[in-house]
Amino acid sequence: MNAALRPVSIDLQESEENRALIEAIEADNPEVTTRHLPGLIKLQAPGQIVINRESVEERLGHEWETGEFQLAIVSYTGNVSEWDDDQIIVKWEH
Amino acid sequence: MSTESPSAAPRKKLPLKERYALLTRDLDWEPSYVDREQLYPFTRYEGIKIHDWDGWQDPFRLTVDAYCKYQAEKDKRLYAVLDGFAQGQGHLTLSDASYLNSIKLFIQGVTPLEYAAHRHFAFLARHLEGPAPRFAALCQSIDELRHTQTQIHTISNYNKYYSGFHSWSKMHDRVWYLAIPKSFFDDAMSAGPFEFLISISFSFEYLLTNLLFVPFMSGASFNGDTPTMSFGFSAQSDESRHMTLGLEAIKFLLEQDEDNVPIIQDWVDKWFWRAYRVSALVAAMMDYMLPKPVMSWKEAFELYFEDQMLSGLFPDLDFYGIRPPRHVDDAIAEKEHLSHQVYKIFHNFSSVAAFTTKTPDDAHLDWLSEQYPDTFDTHHRPTWEKHQRVEAGGRRMFFQGLPQQCQVCQLAISFTEKDDPGKLSFRRSEFRGETFHTCSDGCKWIFDREPEKYVQAWLPVHQILKGDCGGPTIPDVLAWYGIQTGDNGEYTGSPDEQFWRAWHDPSLKHGE
Amino acid sequence: MSVKALYDYEFPSMDRAEVFDDDVLVYVHWEGNPIFCSAACFRVPKTMPFGEFVTSFVVPWAESDPDFDPERTQHWRLFNDPLDVADTKSLADLGIGHKTLLTFAA
Repeated sequence: MNAALRPVSIDLQESEENRALIEAIEADNPEVTTRHLPGLIKLQAPGQIVINRESVEERLGHEWETGEFQLAIVSYTGNVSEWDDDQIIVKWEH
Repeated sequence: MSTESPSAAPRKKLPLKERYALLTRDLDWEPSYVDREQLYPFTRYEGIKIHDWDGWQDPFRLTVDAYCKYQAEKDKRLYAVLDGFAQGQGHLTLSDASYLNSIKLFIQGVTPLEYAAHRHFAFLARHLEGPAPRFAALCQSIDELRHTQTQIHTISNYNKYYSGFHSWSKMHDRVWYLAIPKSFFDDAMSAGPFEFLISISFSFEYLLTNLLFVPFMSGASFNGDTPTMSFGFSAQSDESRHMTLGLEAIKFLLEQDEDNVPIIQDWVDKWFWRAYRVSALVAAMMDYMLPKPVMSWKEAFELYFEDQMLSGLFPDLDFYGIRPPRHVDDAIAEKEHLSHQVYKIFHNFSSVAAFTTKTPDDAHLDWLSEQYPDTFDTHHRPTWEKHQRVEAGGRRMFFQGLPQQCQVCQLAISFTEKDDPGKLSFRRSEFRGETFHTCSDGCKWIFDREPEKYVQAWLPVHQILKGDCGGPTIPDVLAWYGIQTGDNGEYTGSPDEQFWRAWHDPSLKHGE
Repeated sequence: MSVKALYDYEFPSMDRAEVFDDDVLVYVHWEGNPIFCSAACFRVPKTMPFGEFVTSFVVPWAESDPDFDPERTQHWRLFNDPLDVADTKSLADLGIGHKTLLTFAA
């Protein structure tokens, strides 16, 4: 199975604060599936998951730094392939 | 004289990438007063070849200002939960006091490893040759100290009311079952920096991390242990950086020189197996020590290792010529049996441990039958039913003696042959005219590869028999271990169980 | 020297025979009895007669299984080889040396 199809996943803490983040990820990654585990939301998609700062801010109603993603994340499967002020991308490289 | 217009744009921050470069790479310098080999004496002897340390990428691009800000915020959130739980007598909402035996195992076995990691990452923060990996190691060192401290604070509340929590640090250095995690980390710390990165950052913090931590944290969540669960979430966000460091470490080393590939492969083979053997403690915990179980060891192993790692990660590493770990098939074959065999060790020996055990009741046995439909009733249920009969007759069977230990993983040699789960596996090596016993092909391979190292192992059983553990009798040894009456033995009738029953007794009159 | 090191990596083994003087470490496995998680480890004088070894060390351990019948211990093996035991022969005489594994059925 090549990199474009192998699932990547991100586990986020289930909290009030993270609702906007989760909704932004779901909106920007149409193939993502969402699974609820105790205290945890597991987001999974084939190939890659992208987090866009602007999408999060739109839903949050205030400014958000991509660095704040560190407060939300529990675990992930894949590579953090990009992280700058506007975007975070998790995917498999090969 | 001008004043700033109210509608002037706010001063722009530096972009993340630039800030990261300024605060890491640009703070490094090439010394003129000493040569590179003198400055970094540990990075050549393992045979690993590095041509360009600037090839190390940190995708998180963390800088010291952001680090302090986010870590402080995580601590604030966690301590609020700990305070609330303690103030509200939250321990009384646990599923059962017997749940806490899993947390005793955690503070005795895992917390000291966090501290050891803190120390060794500080060593790496000095001795790795590139500023990016040095800074990532420094962050990890502080993270691990944070984990040590937050675990101690989280679990200290239980120490007020329950046995077995009081002397975990001393016990870690002395007690027989704690030699399993201790020897694992000592092996890593006494290896070189590159092997350490593959052993801990890659094998422990990436390959097996979910198998090691998620069961404890989910177990906490299912059993009313809010503080441990909150600690888990708080630490996990640090763990995602640690996983990244581990993955980056292995890729960096593989990309630097083709000659590194077989060295890395050997380390992946060794450290998968060593970490997998430590995870056997988690297997026993998941299947036997949670009044409200989350999932079986078998299910967790399939999800977190077979699916996520074998099917997800290793195809990625295949690009570099790395294949799945040697002996991984043995681990897969063992998933039906591992938890039962290790809990049997705990159950046989909790008379001399700082936690209690009990024989599973029929409801618990039925759950195990459901989780292991092809094997439990044939191979393991009859033993537990025999214990039930022995106890119905008023006795409680403990192993009256000392076990045979594996020279490498230091577990009691209690695993069985792949093709015959009724037959105990014995493996043996000769070195300098002396016999050494191991529990499996995996441990024997590790021994045979570096016998000079493992012949020095401090095996608790042999040390007791040399008289180096307080004296010749069991009470002498328990005193030396720091184990107090009430910490050990059978759960039913123990101080924890009596305390729990008293607190939850519905016949207590109002205000009693 | 298989261990990679910055110096000559030569150290004595922790549990070599001479450390135990006139005793040996012996492991005893009750074959096919899953109530014991593993074999037991005993420290025994080399010169102890086998019969005394069984009554002083093996029986007290094995009888924590209430079904144990000392009359029925049989089929002794030293590692994988059948062992012709005799109560009066010493462990040394029988070739039961340091860190050997004995197995019996019962």
